[in-house]
Amino acid sequence: MADDILFQPLAFRNLTVKNRIVRSNIAGRFDNYDGSGGYARINWEEKFARGGVGAILSSFVPVSIRGRIMPNYATIHADNRVPFWRAVGERVHQHGCKYILQLSHSGRQQDIGGVENLRRKALSSTGRTESQNGFLCQAMTPGEIRQTVADFAQGARRAREAGLDGVELHGANGYLITQFLSSGINDRQDEYGGPLENRARFVLEIVEAIRKEVGRDFHLQVKINGEDRGNAVYPWEKKGNTLPETVQVCQWLEQAGVDALHVSCGSSFPHPLNPPGGFPVDWAVKTYDIMISSGVFVFQRYLLMRYRPLRPLFRYFWEHSKGEVIEGINAEAARAVKQAVKIPVLCTGGFQTASFIRKVIGEGCCDAVSIARSLVANPDLVQIFASGRDRPEKPCTYCNKCLVNAIKNPLGCYELSRFDGDYDRMIQEVMSVFEPSPFAQ
Amino acid sequence: MQPEEITPVEADQRHRTWRAVSIVVIALFAVSCYLYRVFNPNYPVVYNDIREHFKYGSIGTEPMNGVPYWIWKVLPEMFPEKLPGPGPGYASLGFLYEPGRDLPIGMARRRVYLDRVGLNCAVCHTGTLRETPSSPRRIILGMPANNLDLQAYFRFLAACVSDGRFTADNVLLAIQTHTRLDPLERLAYRAAVWETREVVLQRKQLISFMDSRPDWGPGRVDTFNPYKTVQFRFPMDHDATIGTTDLPSIWNQKPREGMQLHWDGNNTSLEERNKSAALGGGVTPVSVDLAAMKRIEDWLRDELQPPPYPYAVDDNLARQGEALYQAHCASCHAFGSAYVGKVTPIAEIGTDPHRLDSFTYEFAANMGTLFAGYPYRFTHFRKTQGYANMPLDGVWLRAPYLHNGSVPTLRDLLEPPENRPKVFYRGYDVYDSHKAGFVSDVPEENGRKYFRYDTAVPGNGNGGHLYGTKLKDAEKAALVEYMKKL
Repeated sequence: MADDILFQPLAFRNLTVKNRIVRSNIAGRFDNYDGSGGYARINWEEKFARGGVGAILSSFVPVSIRGRIMPNYATIHADNRVPFWRAVGERVHQHGCKYILQLSHSGRQQDIGGVENLRRKALSSTGRTESQNGFLCQAMTPGEIRQTVADFAQGARRAREAGLDGVELHGANGYLITQFLSSGINDRQDEYGGPLENRARFVLEIVEAIRKEVGRDFHLQVKINGEDRGNAVYPWEKKGNTLPETVQVCQWLEQAGVDALHVSCGSSFPHPLNPPGGFPVDWAVKTYDIMISSGVFVFQRYLLMRYRPLRPLFRYFWEHSKGEVIEGINAEAARAVKQAVKIPVLCTGGFQTASFIRKVIGEGCCDAVSIARSLVANPDLVQIFASGRDRPEKPCTYCNKCLVNAIKNPLGCYELSRFDGDYDRMIQEVMSVFEPSPFAQ
Repeated sequence: MQPEEITPVEADQRHRTWRAVSIVVIALFAVSCYLYRVFNPNYPVVYNDIREHFKYGSIGTEPMNGVPYWIWKVLPEMFPEKLPGPGPGYASLGFLYEPGRDLPIGMARRRVYLDRVGLNCAVCHTGTLRETPSSPRRIILGMPANNLDLQAYFRFLAACVSDGRFTADNVLLAIQTHTRLDPLERLAYRAAVWETREVVLQRKQLISFMDSRPDWGPGRVDTFNPYKTVQFRFPMDHDATIGTTDLPSIWNQKPREGMQLHWDGNNTSLEERNKSAALGGGVTPVSVDLAAMKRIEDWLRDELQPPPYPYAVDDNLARQGEALYQAHCASCHAFGSAYVGKVTPIAEIGTDPHRLDSFTYEFAANMGTLFAGYPYRFTHFRKTQGYANMPLDGVWLRAPYLHNGSVPTLRDLLEPPENRPKVFYRGYDVYDSHKAGFVSDVPEENGRKYFRYDTAVPGNGNGGHLYGTKLKDAEKAALVEYMKKL
């Protein structure tokens, strides 16, 4: 096992992780409505730390209330959030696992804004309505940009004060930083729009501000799309950034002092290619309705799912650009990034086969992989690999039922076949995130 | 209470809803415009030339009594056995077709949701003339329709729609051989078949009493009796009157203003006479196209003149005849004379009284209810006690003579009744220039049978009007020669 690349430590500039398996960003609505932390989140994160991952990348952690994706997600927008995150870090650290907090801002991709945001449009690089759900937005003013940059920097400061091991900027999957980076979304006429160096200005200013706030000795990584594929759903949309553009941005980020890069894809979330796999429409009709008041296209889209004769239309749009590859879907993009930079590169996308992970790391696609759904299915995946097994006995089916449940129900694996058809056992497993409960001791 | 502020999403949705509603409204408007264009509710084919307008223009008979164009078009093809003789088509009923024309003279086309055809003034007031059987047929506007058998036309329509084969499927199949209807039109035509059957059968039922009276034959019509049921729903159980008369010429109307019009002189208003005739053609007080009618009325009053006699006239003989005319005829028949346009009592004129008797006091009173509510409501109809003295302009073309068309030629009219033809044939258009009238002894030509007119039949009597009957033959010849020039 000492020779197994999977279990060799990965040394970043300011941080060393014990192995090459990182829990990717994923969480449910485990916290209080206002974004103050909840006990379930600590339970959730501990599951994976206990399972043996080298580090955990937190789920989407808003740097401001206006930048949340939905209520009940812990935020880091205020100093009073620091104790909670300290508690999370301490619990994870008990298992020799590092904890990296993902500093995030939804921009216009705000699934449920919550009552705090009910009467205002989301902020974005653009004022153009988002095409899939019809999220309304307004183009940020220079003042709002400066404020948001500062919010990210303050978030990093709070993460450091909480004793966490680093921060990740969520620059992928269609959130605010993507909205600035992507040529398919950013239609600004000022110094934050137009050519790539202008579009990258926002994220580079955040990096600079964070470095000013926390110094050079605190781990900072950026999650970024290899390719935007903005036209994956609607062919008439712009395709957005290409891989060479991403590589260029990554080089600028490295120069700006970023310690690692985390490669994903897709300029929206979810996206036909991220998370790769199926789209469980039968489950979606039970949960997507919660977003009907959030976007101006949600209701029409919901009807496409709700009524079976219309589903082929939905499936056509969702699946026409999807390929066959699931595991390692971003490996080649990561390889291109890794070849262009000297800092470590993480890659996400369907990993759950030990031999395949060894292969992509061995071939120089990346230095470590990040895994979300496969760990939700098997939180002990690292131990399974350590036992010499190449794949879990009941692997993740990539059905994405966890994904569509996350907006309404507790996050967990909802693939009934993995529980031999026993629904109650499946729900019991899902509900295990609430154990132990805070007042039960 | 302050209204609840709405969220940006709700505001946007309201905006989208309004936009969607606007788009739907605009789309509906566009569709309506399209449908309006395709099924324009009421728009006639318009002719600038007044003669074309007279022949083919609409006066408003189509909305209530028209027949959808394509149904009308295919009926002769679907039911050729119901036509009286060789066609083609409606020509066998005496309708006149001009080369290159789709519809016969007297048949107008108007869009009333569907294109419909209906009768106009020209159907009863356009006739033909041939010098010899092989001569080309000359169409003359304003003369009596000497070919048209209007009663046979109505009977043909009724027979067609009563036939079990008159179904929407069969009609559409027949239409398909001519044109390709779009789905909307097909649907409309399905309804139109039903509607046509109802309209035609209702009219047939209303005028069914006519079946117990002598046939009209070509060039004749019972002007007023059908009004009794069509307009007033009179019970006809005790009314056996016969009102069949010859169709009149309608040219040169200006000097007729104020005269006692109609054969019995029952009305002195040109306007009422015209509107009354239009009602007979199928207009209603609502559907009548007054502007279209006015064009025709103006033209008839101020422009249309009878054509000059086209054949040779012996001027010397005619000069002799003129003196006789002045002596025996002019006082009653010349414009400006004392009695022209006035009624001669039946006891004196002595012609067949049936037409006079058919126009009763009760009926005259009821005529005063027509166009009620309009400024042109009828006020001039009166019961008279005789027949009116007609001006004789273009009299050479107005054969057969007397109000019921019972005397085939002018020369025959100068004979005492016992010497006038007792049986003759109507509908033939070859001119007898010797006797001044149409040749009346030809029962059939090229398979087309002409109407056998029997003066012994009630209403067909050829008695009376004994003026000039006592002249010598040479004088009668001279008088006839002169009258060709009127």
